[in-house]
Amino acid sequence: MASDMSLAGRRRVQLALLLTPVSLFFAVFFLGPLTIMIVTSFLAPGLYGGVEWVFYPHNYGRILGFADPAFEIFDPVYLAIFLRSLKIAAFTVIATLFVCYPAAFCIARLSERWKNFCLFLITLPFFTSLIVRLFIWVLILRQTGIVNEVLLAGGIIDRPLELIYTDGAIVLGMVYIFIPFMFMPVYASVEKLDWTLVRASLDLGAGPIRTFIRIILPLTAPGIAGGAIIVFIPALGNFVVPAVLGGAKVMMLGNLIEQQFLSARNWPFGSALAMMVMCAMLVLLFVYVLASGRRGADVMN
Amino acid sequence: MKIARFLFRGSLFAYTGLFFAFIYIPLVLIAVYSFNSNPVNMMTWTGFTTEWYAQVLGFKTTISENALYIESTDQLVQAVWNSLIIAGSTTVIATVLGTAVAIALYRFAFFGKRFYRTVMFMPMLMPDIVLGIALLIFFVNSGIKLGLTTIIIGQCTFLISYVFIVVSARLAGMDRTLENASADLGANEWVTFRKVVFPQLLPGIVGGALLAFIISMDDLVITYFIAGVDVTTLPMFIFAMLRRGIKPEINAIAVMMLSFSFVVASLGLYLRSRQK
Repeated sequence: MASDMSLAGRRRVQLALLLTPVSLFFAVFFLGPLTIMIVTSFLAPGLYGGVEWVFYPHNYGRILGFADPAFEIFDPVYLAIFLRSLKIAAFTVIATLFVCYPAAFCIARLSERWKNFCLFLITLPFFTSLIVRLFIWVLILRQTGIVNEVLLAGGIIDRPLELIYTDGAIVLGMVYIFIPFMFMPVYASVEKLDWTLVRASLDLGAGPIRTFIRIILPLTAPGIAGGAIIVFIPALGNFVVPAVLGGAKVMMLGNLIEQQFLSARNWPFGSALAMMVMCAMLVLLFVYVLASGRRGADVMN
Repeated sequence: MKIARFLFRGSLFAYTGLFFAFIYIPLVLIAVYSFNSNPVNMMTWTGFTTEWYAQVLGFKTTISENALYIESTDQLVQAVWNSLIIAGSTTVIATVLGTAVAIALYRFAFFGKRFYRTVMFMPMLMPDIVLGIALLIFFVNSGIKLGLTTIIIGQCTFLISYVFIVVSARLAGMDRTLENASADLGANEWVTFRKVVFPQLLPGIVGGALLAFIISMDDLVITYFIAGVDVTTLPMFIFAMLRRGIKPEINAIAVMMLSFSFVVASLGLYLRSRQK
């Protein structure tokens, strides 16, 4: 009995040794900062960039339209930027899916060796510098970039096209950096796809299109949903891609937040904007978990 | 029917070819054009040169100075050093802490296990910018001076998660019967851990550490917010250059960075495939 107790005691000490450092670290440097950010988003901006400790919901009012004119003025431009960010993120998800989905089917049916090689080629860019990969697209798309040079030299156009500093350029840049994020979950569900069901559907007289819609699409839906979420979340709050490929013209939530923190110095308003990104993320995750039920719980684990 | 199927498969292959072309042609383009001698229009080929590499590496060149903006290579070297110091420290801290949690969650059943798991995943799902500004507000309020220390702490918050996931995956695939055999044969817990568990776990730990190192070297958003005014890392340096306008020597820097991460990543992925 005594040795049992000491065994249990020793295990408790081991567990404490393993968990305490991380628990402290996360409490202080992760949950702490998040809490402070949430609190800050409800405080009033100070005159010279600080905060004033009064409850001040008008930061949100300024974005969402219930601002009290005595404190803040509702400017629809912020809501417009939020909606535009949602739109660009949604387009990014759709475009990434179109790029990755057919390729996943092709790669899933290759031999083991080729499959592994292809997966290696797809994951490799993930490990290379993001800023460098975006920079290449500046060289390709800008006025004197390679696309315009080639088109001009070929006589197809006589004036350079405006390719860079557009919404399209931002979506293209995001698709380029988020390909591995979408491909991996989609590929995982395509590889698991039970082809006997597809064959059965075809044998029973369903056409290829009907088989795709009724069998293949629902069976790969979990991968598509997973990929969509892990692309949408970083796309929504992204500020590097619009900063590099969107120029000064195209503003997204990320740039607006950066501006509030580093130049406008209105931290409470910036925090409120960041909370909008967080809320969008939480809503998405909630819907995802609800929609996929138990499967969602498994994925989270 | 057969022809239709053939056409379908053919177009699927062609599509996949285009898919890889989309990923890799830009990388090939930059590698080629980094040797272009045209200082004004970088995408119009005027001849082969290695001047830009020489310029970046600090050798004497014949380029007129105003075409460039690395006033001295010192800035670049300093940025590289900062990135290496940060990546080195974060890798050690994140690997130790991430591995500890992974082992704790694997071996012990305790109250709040689910909570720990969820919290460990949160920093990865969290948009970078949110974590970046939350840390900025926190550091400024707590009076910690922004600089190398704050970057190291800030990056660890999400690097721990990456290490945790890689090590957990390795633990989940481990053979528990070996542990039992070792215990049955009279080895105590510590010996079993050192001789049986740890060697099996090592590839996961090394993989997690490599991943943490690469992600730390590449992190821009979180570092950008908590770096303060004195410290610049390599990605921040390039970001600043891009915002000022593009000059040819960025090409050379970009190609060197790509080569470096290609080598490290290939090595990591190769090691992992060998371990399977």
